[in-house]
Amino acid sequence: MSDAAAPRPARSRYERPRRPFSVLGIILGLILGVGAGLGYAWGIAPMEQSNIAPWQLDAEGRASYTVAIALAYGQDGDLGHAIERLVALRFPGDPIQGMADIACQLASTGYANSTSGLDALVTMIRLYQLQGRAGCADQIIGANSSQSGGVVTIDLPTPTTTLTPPPSKTPTPLNNRPTPTALLFIVPTQAPQNAFDLISVTTNCSLGQSGLIMVDVYQLNGSTGIPGMEIRARWSGGESRFFTGLKSERGDSYADFTMASGIDYIIDMPGRADPIRQPLSAVPCTTPNGEQAVIAYRVLFRAAE
Amino acid sequence: MRFLISLLVALIIGAGVGLYLGWVQFPAQVIDNPMSNLDARYQDEYTVMIAYGFLADRNLASALERLQRLDLENAALTIQETAERYISSSRTVEDIRALVTLAEGVGRLTPLMEPYRLVNESSPS
Repeated sequence: MSDAAAPRPARSRYERPRRPFSVLGIILGLILGVGAGLGYAWGIAPMEQSNIAPWQLDAEGRASYTVAIALAYGQDGDLGHAIERLVALRFPGDPIQGMADIACQLASTGYANSTSGLDALVTMIRLYQLQGRAGCADQIIGANSSQSGGVVTIDLPTPTTTLTPPPSKTPTPLNNRPTPTALLFIVPTQAPQNAFDLISVTTNCSLGQSGLIMVDVYQLNGSTGIPGMEIRARWSGGESRFFTGLKSERGDSYADFTMASGIDYIIDMPGRADPIRQPLSAVPCTTPNGEQAVIAYRVLFRAAE
Repeated sequence: MRFLISLLVALIIGAGVGLYLGWVQFPAQVIDNPMSNLDARYQDEYTVMIAYGFLADRNLASALERLQRLDLENAALTIQETAERYISSSRTVEDIRALVTLAEGVGRLTPLMEPYRLVNESSPS
């Protein structure tokens, strides 16, 4: 048999041309290299971000941001907006309770020692209490605290001169130094709380007053109405302000506001009286005659003593 | 030898790719950042909220102290710029008024802000 008829043997690895690189080395190197790069970039030297969201703040930043949310709410009364901002902080669980927890932390430190700090805490307490939440700040601060105002000077009585000790065997120099005069202490006091007190909130059900919040504001004597007093009704997503004395047939003390069915309202006198504790709900009721109406409320404010 | 050289070259290239991915494409979302790292949108939001607080108590010192948490170089200028930016981008009137009031409080009232001044409010302390 001739060589020309025999099949050609397959090219062995020793006959194939060599690659200039190692495929296995490249694959292994890439895997190890990418892993090492990621480990360094994520673990050892992560990039400092300059466009973070509120939830990425440190503890102090989260507290400051929460305080700011409360301050804004205290002025505009926009609960929906406040909650939206609180959600951005991504508190574990309920965002409003998150505010209560922050208030507790702040109240437990020296944050309330300043006027602005105390005011901020009071605003936070009012916000979360109105939503039915509670926190340790309620006991530490109390929602009725308000801005400090005047200053009281306390003069401590001057103590008597310290007596010199009896003479001893070894003569010692007399010590006649008098006790230093007591220092003057100045302690900030609380200004009067509110100009008006909430006296009562009563309900009634009648067709003629269906869905009305009727507000009366009186002098201290309880009978002289005060016209021109601003009343504020707040609800989720809005507020309305109205004034006493605009309906002459109802007297100087009177103002009213018509509720929308199914909405809860908080009534206060801005800057003059605290909001009522419980919201007034526009719920259906049945009149004594068996007719359907919306419950009406009568709110009575009186000048504080 | 081929193997080692290939490994080394791929390691270097891989490390570069890993750093790019870890720093640029998929940066780690680190928490515990200072307020100065807040996104500009949230810094504006914070400034507006402080302005509302100032509207309520007119306590300029505490407003500025709170704004300093943002580690601003010039708080008054930042307030002015934020107010003007809000005016120029037609944001809500209430927010603008709050910012303008704060700007006026720090002495940064500009002609652009004049229409939004709360003239019936008491002067800032």
